[in-house]
Amino acid sequence: MTKVNRLAEGRKKTLLDLVSGRRFRTGWKSFIILFFIIFVILPTVWILSYVVTDWSSIQTEVFDKPEIMQVITDAIIASFEIAIIVTVIDIIVGLPMAWIMVRKEFKGKQYLDTLIDMPLAVPTAALGFSCAIFWAVTPDKVNAPDFSLAFITSPFMLIILLHVVFSYPYMVRSLSAILEQIDQTYETAGRTLGASKFTAARTITLPLFRAGLVTGIILCLARSLSETGGTMIALSTMANAGTFETGPTIIGKWKALLSTNPDLAAPLAFVSILLIVISLVLLVVLKLMVMKVRLPAGKVWPKWERTLSRNWVPKLKDGSAIIFLFIFVLIPSFFIFSYVLVSPSAITEWGTFWNALIYSFIIAGIVTAIDIVLGVPMALYIARGHSLKFPQFLDVLVNVPLIVPTAALGYSLGVFWKGVPGIGSLDFVLIIMAHVAFTYPLVVRNVAGAVEEIDPSYEETARTLGAKPLQAFRRVLYPMIKASILAGAIMAFTRSLGETGATLAVVSSANTAPVYIVNLIKADQFYLAAMACIVLIIVSYIFMLALRYVTKRRTD
Amino acid sequence: MPTIRLENVSKHYGPTKAADRLSLEIMDGEYLCILGPTGAGKTTLLRILSGLTLPDSGKVFFDGADRTRAEPEERGASMLSQTYSLFPALTVSENILFGPAIRGMGEKDKDDTLNSMLDLVRLTERSDAYPKELSGGMMQRTALARALASGCDTLLLDEPLRALDARLRISLRYEIRDLAKSLGLTTIHVTHDQDEALVMADRIAIIRHGTILQVGTPNDVFDHPNSPFVANFVGQCNFFRGKVLSSGSITQVQCADGRSIEAGPSELKAGEEAVVAVKLGNTELTKEAKGYFSGTVERTLFEGKYIHVDVNVKDVGTISAKLPSWRLSKLAIGDQVDVRWNAARANVFPMPEGGLEQELKVE
Amino acid sequence: MPEVVLRGVSKKYGKVVAVDDISLTIKDGEYVTILGPSGCGKTTLIRMIAGIIQPTEGQVFIGGKDMKGVEIEDRDLGYVFQNIALFPNLNVADNVAYSPRVKDRPAEEQAATAKKYLELVKLLDRMSMLPGELCGGEQQKVSLARALATGSKLLLLDEPLSALDARVRMDLRYDLRRLVKQLGITTVHVTHDQEEAMSVSDRIVLMRKGSVMEMGSPEQLYTKPQNMFTANFIGETNFFEGWVKERADGLSKIELRDGSEMSVANCPFDKGTAIVVSVRPEFVFPFTSGLHAKITSITYMGTYWRISTEADSEDEVELDVPVADGSLYKIGQEVYLMVNRKAAIVFPRPREGIAEAISLE
Repeated sequence: MTKVNRLAEGRKKTLLDLVSGRRFRTGWKSFIILFFIIFVILPTVWILSYVVTDWSSIQTEVFDKPEIMQVITDAIIASFEIAIIVTVIDIIVGLPMAWIMVRKEFKGKQYLDTLIDMPLAVPTAALGFSCAIFWAVTPDKVNAPDFSLAFITSPFMLIILLHVVFSYPYMVRSLSAILEQIDQTYETAGRTLGASKFTAARTITLPLFRAGLVTGIILCLARSLSETGGTMIALSTMANAGTFETGPTIIGKWKALLSTNPDLAAPLAFVSILLIVISLVLLVVLKLMVMKVRLPAGKVWPKWERTLSRNWVPKLKDGSAIIFLFIFVLIPSFFIFSYVLVSPSAITEWGTFWNALIYSFIIAGIVTAIDIVLGVPMALYIARGHSLKFPQFLDVLVNVPLIVPTAALGYSLGVFWKGVPGIGSLDFVLIIMAHVAFTYPLVVRNVAGAVEEIDPSYEETARTLGAKPLQAFRRVLYPMIKASILAGAIMAFTRSLGETGATLAVVSSANTAPVYIVNLIKADQFYLAAMACIVLIIVSYIFMLALRYVTKRRTD
Repeated sequence: MPTIRLENVSKHYGPTKAADRLSLEIMDGEYLCILGPTGAGKTTLLRILSGLTLPDSGKVFFDGADRTRAEPEERGASMLSQTYSLFPALTVSENILFGPAIRGMGEKDKDDTLNSMLDLVRLTERSDAYPKELSGGMMQRTALARALASGCDTLLLDEPLRALDARLRISLRYEIRDLAKSLGLTTIHVTHDQDEALVMADRIAIIRHGTILQVGTPNDVFDHPNSPFVANFVGQCNFFRGKVLSSGSITQVQCADGRSIEAGPSELKAGEEAVVAVKLGNTELTKEAKGYFSGTVERTLFEGKYIHVDVNVKDVGTISAKLPSWRLSKLAIGDQVDVRWNAARANVFPMPEGGLEQELKVE
Repeated sequence: MPEVVLRGVSKKYGKVVAVDDISLTIKDGEYVTILGPSGCGKTTLIRMIAGIIQPTEGQVFIGGKDMKGVEIEDRDLGYVFQNIALFPNLNVADNVAYSPRVKDRPAEEQAATAKKYLELVKLLDRMSMLPGELCGGEQQKVSLARALATGSKLLLLDEPLSALDARVRMDLRYDLRRLVKQLGITTVHVTHDQEEAMSVSDRIVLMRKGSVMEMGSPEQLYTKPQNMFTANFIGETNFFEGWVKERADGLSKIELRDGSEMSVANCPFDKGTAIVVSVRPEFVFPFTSGLHAKITSITYMGTYWRISTEADSEDEVELDVPVADGSLYKIGQEVYLMVNRKAAIVFPRPREGIAEAISLE
């Protein structure tokens, strides 16, 4: 009998002992996984079951009505075309920027770092308006400032420009994250072997980059495919948008009409299914394809590549990356401020807006709380069990709600819970569940990522020093991941605050702040909409500053 | 202090056998070194002892009681990981007091424990420093103090010196051993460094492919290895292949070219394929007497206490020897020398089944 | 030819001086090791030679040319990294062929180069494997082959063996030296391992806190160190504290703290100077008279027994006795110790204290 055992024997069982028992731990783990499956995954993809249960109505309401079918195909094709073009643009301009951020040291780097993140702070609804008045030809009633560029007349072009703005930071962030993980020694080694900077980057770093590139691409595609509010606003603001629709906007539009026209249920289901299936297929194909494709990296042209590595070429490349950031990302994001300065102020009716804002805050707050309480244990389970099959499977599954366009997710979730008595009619609960579904993965991803970086030997050592699992978490792991939990929480909060698509798809008459702004624009109340946007920007910006502050502290 | 016993313990990771029906007994208060190459299953063994990894089959006994499935915190065994795992947000003092705080020790007792521990590892002056402000050696000592303060009676050390500079490693060997010994702890120390094991251990267990090959005192494993692998791993050897001529208190082996060499006692049968292993330090070079082989000095390297000499022997290859350094002035490259050894200090083994090359692989 | 000359080279990071005004010449074909404890600036130094880091002051010459402004890829050298840094996406042969490839040599030449250098490190059979499939020692050999395949006559090794197991390290040392000597390459090797440094080098440069402490052949540094730090760092040694009692040519007398006397052959200090005598364990012998001491531990070292004692003079003294004599000693036993007076080296007693003067961190 060891000394510690003897000590333990004389003691009565406490609550700590109870929750430290193997049986309790297994029970808690099962609960967490069940929650994830029932409240997150199943509702997200539930609509797919429609194919089996109600194929006949899809047959009659979609396939047999060419005009509906036409609208659906046009919208879906437009959505994917936009998403793909946006992603390609982001890669081309994001890669040099990521390179600057990771491999270069210069004064003012932290300011550039902040600038790149700025668009993230602007809710997409506000971005939609801001971009539209900057780029597009707008009708007179909008009163766009005289100095706006105002030359875009194609809705397709405008939406691309809009989506680039908010997906660009995601691409730069994920590319920098991968680049940071690639040991710079490889490039240095290449150079000691006689390769110029360009050659070393092209033949060594880029091939290693591929796996991570997929993450960036998927994030970008998903964000673009999901975006609803901003797109709706941009289309409503510009002149001659005509009948142009994307997948998510059509869901929002039809969902609003559903109560008067129940025949739209089948087309709605069909659009959602298409969006979900194509997104998931794209994800799988990308993962498989990118690893298979061999880059044509064999041949080297030492003279040319040497020229590319020196003198004015790298400077030109870096310069263009920064110019792009300003012209295509930053100015369009904040153009809205100039609008309220130069446009004549209209009568403002703030009451409804404040109500909507408070409503949004309450929802975001509850959603974030649920995400943390149930997401952190899930993150721990995934991160600490990554050598086992089941956690690995969950790790993949947790990404699904991130990839599925939120409008489709919202509609699917609505259908899932409609059948459950008592819940199906509670708008507030439904909105919260929809927001949990797409923000939960954000928290899990963030925390799991942080935990994976922490050597398990810290907790293990704590255990061998006599700490029970809960104590080891509380005293050792928690202080190390606190900042990441907070970061995940703030991300979830701001995403929930800015979300339009999922909200509209689950409850078309919801009264959240972004939905309110969309409605203002549709009612031609541009000035009030712009003011509301600015308030939303300021609130979100405060949160982003908080986020940067905590993540900064984490790296210190 | 516990006697620890592992009985037929197995642990597989996919096709890799990290522990393969492994049995081992560690005595009360003993300092045992587990010595083996990377990937031999050393760390897995330590993790099974600590309860951080559950074995697929087999049992772990502490003082005769089956503790195979006991939680890590219930074993009274503290682990010191390779990287020390000092909690980065806590100071030296707070780290040391982690165990006492968990156990709810009173303030007075905590102070006493802290002071005696800081004193023991000579860190009183750095008690308020954070781990990242410490040098490698100090971090190592803090981790040791933290383990001792937890009130454990078994110490599990996972390559505790690996992260340190070579010279510092040598200085710290005695310090760790003396500390463990003076507190009467049962200590299991995992290492890949044979010198470290020789200096620190009461007994050494040599592990490879998840099985214990040999357990014995440093003297045993160095002088009486039970396989060519052990002979070579615990100190570089010259190997010679041949057929057994006769055995008994001296074994005679005939090499391929007809030369006959001698080794210590064995029960090998005449005609059997055999391997003779002679430690570099037991290989003698002489100009005066006749040896088993003659060759030319190829190179001499001064290594301090010893010189390393390579001798090229026709048809045999390079034979190396470690000689006292005063011999350096008497040996020049190109000199003709004879190679011989004290037969009793050479070991003979039957030819390993997979061939000698495979047997000697140290990775 | 690749003679490397450092002239007054310094590297400062803000107020921290990583390398402090080092001048050094590495001759063509020489094998020089830069040895020192962690943080002594040795890695910074070798990186400045390679051009990975730019010196704050001073000049680096390779083959007589000033390297200021010359990019890494134009310095014509081979570099082996501590973390091995084989390109994980290329197989072994492609890794080795990387240098000819980026110089756009014909495909046949690339293949031939890979084959030639892999053969040299005896790893031809691993050609089509990925680095991750090799064990540590093999990886480092491939990395060496890759550096040699540049065809350069200057090889820089940055702690090439640190990441490997002790036993693998021991075998590789001898291979490493044989290979570069056979190819006639100028080599600069950085390490913290004094045993490794002794085995491979023609000359050792011992660094501490950014400066060169001492340089010389392994034999010089071991047998005639110029200061205490060197004596202790290059192999273990005993220190006896005392004063010069009598100074004479050929034989001086030292008085230890308990009043006992010790004779040494060479003492450059005047009578009354506070000094420290360094004697390595293999030069201390048990005798019928001499310094009185008590045995505190006995350790088997394979080819000898290491006996630790505590002497009346408060010095801790270690000595080595032959394997056959091991049974003659027991812990607690009292012995008399003599030192080989020719092997004793006398240093002035450091003002900061012995512990500080030889501190390894």
